[in-house]
Amino acid sequence: MTRIEHHVSRRDFLKLGGASVGALAAGAILAPPAAAAARQAGFLDDAGDGTIPTMCEMCVWRCGVLARVKNGRVVKLDGNPAHPHSRGMLCARGQAGLMSTYDPDRVLHPLIRVGPRGGGQFRQATWEETLDLTAQKMAEIRDNYGPEAMVFSSTHNLSQVQFENLLSAYGSPNYGTQRSLCFNAMVTAFLLTYGVEEPARNYDSVKFVLLTGRNLLEAISTSETAELMEAVSRGAKLVVLDPRFTKTASKATEWIPIRPGTDAAFLLSMIHVIVTERLADCEFVKKYVTGCEEIPAAMSEYTPEWGEAKTGVPAATIDRLAREYAAAGKDAMAHPGWRTSNFMNSFQAERAIATLNALSGNVLTPGGCLVAESPEAAGIPLGKPPQPAYPRVTSMRLDGVPWKYPLVPLKLGIFQNIREAILTGQPYQAHGWFVSRQNPVLSIPDRARTVEAMGKLDFIAVVDVILNDTAWYADVVLPEASYLERYDPLNIVDHKLFLRQPVIEAQGEARSALWIYKQLGERLGLGEFFQYEDEEDYLRQQLAPLGAELQDVKYKGYLEVPAEEGDGEIVFSTPSGKIEVYSETLAGAGFSPWPTWEEPAAPAPDEFYLLTGKVGQHTQTATQNNAFLHQVEDEPKLWIHPAAASARGIEDGASVRVTSPIGSVVVTSLVTEGIRQDCLYLAPGYGHASKGLRLAYGVGVSDSDLHVTYTDPISGGQALSQTFVTVERA
Amino acid sequence: MADKKRYGFVIDVSRCIDCRACLVACRVENEVPLPHTRIWVKDQGLRGTFPDLAREFVPYNCMHCEHPPCIEVCTSGATFKDTDNGLVLVDQEACIGCGLCVEACPYDARYLDPARGVVDKCTGCVQRVERGEEPACVATCLGGARMFGDFNDPSSEVSQALARATQVRQLVTDEVDPDPNIYYLNGDVMQTGLLPRLPRYTTAETLWRGVAIPAVIAGITLSFLGQAVAFTKQLIEGEQEFEE
Amino acid sequence: MSHAEFIPLAERKRLRVTEIKKHNLANILTHWFNVAMWALLLPTGLAILASPRLGIVPEMWQTLMRNIFGGTAHLIEFHYSIGLVWIAVLTFNILLGFRKYFIPFTRERMFLDADDIEWLKVKPLQMIGLAKAKHLPPQDVYNAGQKLYMYMVIVGTLTIGLTGLIMTFHNLIPWPWLIRWCLPIHFSAVGMVVAGLIIHVYMGAVFPEEKEAFFSMFTGKVSAWYARRHHAKWYWRKMEEEMDWEDRVLAEGRALKVDESAAD
Repeated sequence: MTRIEHHVSRRDFLKLGGASVGALAAGAILAPPAAAAARQAGFLDDAGDGTIPTMCEMCVWRCGVLARVKNGRVVKLDGNPAHPHSRGMLCARGQAGLMSTYDPDRVLHPLIRVGPRGGGQFRQATWEETLDLTAQKMAEIRDNYGPEAMVFSSTHNLSQVQFENLLSAYGSPNYGTQRSLCFNAMVTAFLLTYGVEEPARNYDSVKFVLLTGRNLLEAISTSETAELMEAVSRGAKLVVLDPRFTKTASKATEWIPIRPGTDAAFLLSMIHVIVTERLADCEFVKKYVTGCEEIPAAMSEYTPEWGEAKTGVPAATIDRLAREYAAAGKDAMAHPGWRTSNFMNSFQAERAIATLNALSGNVLTPGGCLVAESPEAAGIPLGKPPQPAYPRVTSMRLDGVPWKYPLVPLKLGIFQNIREAILTGQPYQAHGWFVSRQNPVLSIPDRARTVEAMGKLDFIAVVDVILNDTAWYADVVLPEASYLERYDPLNIVDHKLFLRQPVIEAQGEARSALWIYKQLGERLGLGEFFQYEDEEDYLRQQLAPLGAELQDVKYKGYLEVPAEEGDGEIVFSTPSGKIEVYSETLAGAGFSPWPTWEEPAAPAPDEFYLLTGKVGQHTQTATQNNAFLHQVEDEPKLWIHPAAASARGIEDGASVRVTSPIGSVVVTSLVTEGIRQDCLYLAPGYGHASKGLRLAYGVGVSDSDLHVTYTDPISGGQALSQTFVTVERA
Repeated sequence: MADKKRYGFVIDVSRCIDCRACLVACRVENEVPLPHTRIWVKDQGLRGTFPDLAREFVPYNCMHCEHPPCIEVCTSGATFKDTDNGLVLVDQEACIGCGLCVEACPYDARYLDPARGVVDKCTGCVQRVERGEEPACVATCLGGARMFGDFNDPSSEVSQALARATQVRQLVTDEVDPDPNIYYLNGDVMQTGLLPRLPRYTTAETLWRGVAIPAVIAGITLSFLGQAVAFTKQLIEGEQEFEE
Repeated sequence: MSHAEFIPLAERKRLRVTEIKKHNLANILTHWFNVAMWALLLPTGLAILASPRLGIVPEMWQTLMRNIFGGTAHLIEFHYSIGLVWIAVLTFNILLGFRKYFIPFTRERMFLDADDIEWLKVKPLQMIGLAKAKHLPPQDVYNAGQKLYMYMVIVGTLTIGLTGLIMTFHNLIPWPWLIRWCLPIHFSAVGMVVAGLIIHVYMGAVFPEEKEAFFSMFTGKVSAWYARRHHAKWYWRKMEEEMDWEDRVLAEGRALKVDESAAD
């Protein structure tokens, strides 16, 4: 208790700004603690100006950032040349990052709801009151209904290790992440095939890149986007499968406007051609791929002609591309993709991609394109605070893993099923939801259903930096310090340990997640699981086994950890130790052991596929309120082909109504040749309903008001393009 | 004796992916107030019909021309071409905010900052260049489309890029060619429909130039001649000590 | 010169040595203050005009002035600072001396009458040797030409001052078109006054007949001879005033004498 009072009084002393308006006063009269620490670390001069290395958080790529500070304010963010993900560059979102920290709509004080849920009325409260209330409610739920009645959900972030620590210590098995909305298909497929979640991509000498979706030039991952452009400029062939003419397609050597849902057919046809014509790297395949003798037979029906019938792509094209791919050998890359939540058969498409790469011998081979190595395998021994063993979890998970979905990794889960379980009360009723750095109201399909589910809960707590849509429905909002204002646990990238550290003093009363979770943990009687004094102490404990000084890491921004010399032996972490194109695990669960074709659902003659995607200026639903990104964004519109538009009397720019089985929206249309006639595309991330986002509120519409919830039984992934819609003039 | 530099940009049109990181980087680096901007990416729009489509993006900013129309028209000489580095800059303390340069620039690269009443534009991030860094837009360009450097130095990145490039173009037309210092590689796809435009000269300046100045010169000349005649007459007739 | 009234030699000699006050201190100081201001403002103002498209001012002059003041910004600062001083002092003087100086000055010296109009038609011709036979009407303390010049200076000063203020505080003016129009207007007003100034300087300092006028801008006084010849209306009005004054004094003196004798 003394600790809390101490912190509160220091906060009061440095209090800046009122309730949700937190514009930072220019220049602090007193040296803020963060600046003092920075000066001690050696990169701020006596005037308090200088450059501090840290990491971006505007998306999950987490580029290294060099933050220039002047008079206690961040004045510029530059990419850190030493970070493999930025290499000196930052995308539009990274460049705009300081405007998210200085967003006048930031939540800078703990908020407690007054009025009805979703009414947006909150009162400012002290940390003490808010944390006490949160812990009290969570304890009540645990005591009355069991810890499984509390749902915890968070999207991939650096403090996730402590979030997981909190929920594991609390004893709940119900952990929701965004993964099933995003990449379950990819991760499950590659785990089953290579034994790694996601192979890294090497573009150094690539000659042929096959992108299945993966709009790298708009779904920007700074270094990878740059590497792809470098390869294309160098003369590498880029083939893009996409029903829409994205910016990536505009740079492609060949754009294939493939019928949605048929990627797997295209890829299986390619495999057919390669194995039938014996174009694969046979030596590699024999040595490292299971079932290599039977592959041709398993692929026998997937002829290019068959492929043409399914995809609409001419058989000759499929045949030619397969040969070109094979001819590039180890320098060919079938990109694993990332967000692969398109159709129920996306898992099979991912299996086919994994197979294609295996056939070219580019996996884990020197100079090959795919580096099947996960960060944990890098073998960097990070320390952690001591803690007791977690309580045993006896109840089943709400999302049906693994009892209904035996192959979905526990770590991935099926987020949308948690929402369903809350609504139906099956297999048991959840009573609380703790959300951190996530916006499920807008990200899970069928927004109305998610809001309805929230109505069934006794208590909802949200950790966020801004009053996003999920925070809008919360009972308490716990203000996290922005990424420029806080420490986070260390992050491993390519044998370097990167540090996120505060660049400026946290505004208002915002605090780091590390602090928030510890405070909650202590109040829940779980203090033993949070044995760190503060963020710096936590980091010191992480560094302890490496014998490094926190001070040195702060100054440089990272710590280089020498790579362990491998013995040159290539081993895959699968049951057989080989690449499992034939998967015994899949067979055992009652699914096809081979990559196989599953006919997807198709729209009726007057219906359209509703496509989603990414824009280079925003990150999902997180950034629409950033004033600098708002300035450079395109107005979100619905793409429609001229033939489809004129058949409905729709002119470019006209208002149209899009209707799906679960809802309808009205949006401005963009009549364009850049999309198939049977498709519509809606720019993602808009349609915010929180009035706490003054720039974003009311701009555009959200496809969460249209998407029907589908779940792939194998990977648990969503099928976001499987919702078919009609469109008419509004 | 320092060698004179000629700073400029080389932009590879085939590499711009319209990510707009440059737009944001410039705004932050140079504290450009919303809604103004010193830098643009022109979307040339979709060409062709499905599925034979093409789309290119053309980044541009102040071209730091060799013969800038803005300098031609600047009332106070606030805008100037730095003789040491070739950048076209604005001494904002000498700018009186008349905005004639904004009208004259064929690339609409300048804007009047309403808060300070002075003109602002791309400075080649001279403050970064002096620190040995690249301009903000160049440093952050994901596609690697932007390059900046000294054209007078044959070993610079920009000189080398020009030397080995094909399809080098400037954004000029037959009517408007101020010899800009942004060179575009793979620029054959560029359309000059929108830019450059003809320099505009305002009514006020046209009247100043065409009417007021001649009138004043005429008036002063007349006045001068008048008194010259009288003075000559005075000298010829001689001074009279005493009037009658 | 012909048609002048005939004055006997003795009278002429007496008139030549008698002095009349033509300009009070306020007039004199204001005049030379304006001269000083123009001497500073005109060369610096011209030097600011660097537009190659206008091409009015020789580059040598632009460079020289920028070198002297340490750059364009300082040159402009100097120019508008002096301009502000000019406006401030004039305004202050007018306000301070409104009753005592400004009103009488205006009443006496500002307005044109019929004589002035006629004078304006005849005098220019006579200056170039024509219309010698015509009669030149009598003029007041300022002749019509000087009054015209005064109007031009007043209008010019107001215009220059107003447009100068707008341009000086351009950062407070949200309409660039206004600043753009101030440029030719400021320039034209200056040009107009300069054109008039050339004549003014000639007429005041070079033209032999006006020599006394020139010195009166220092001493404040002209000879009665000059006044009677060139500003006859004013001269006779002054004489009237003097005679009235003398009559009053005499009347008071007589009254005093009467009192004194009465007191005896």
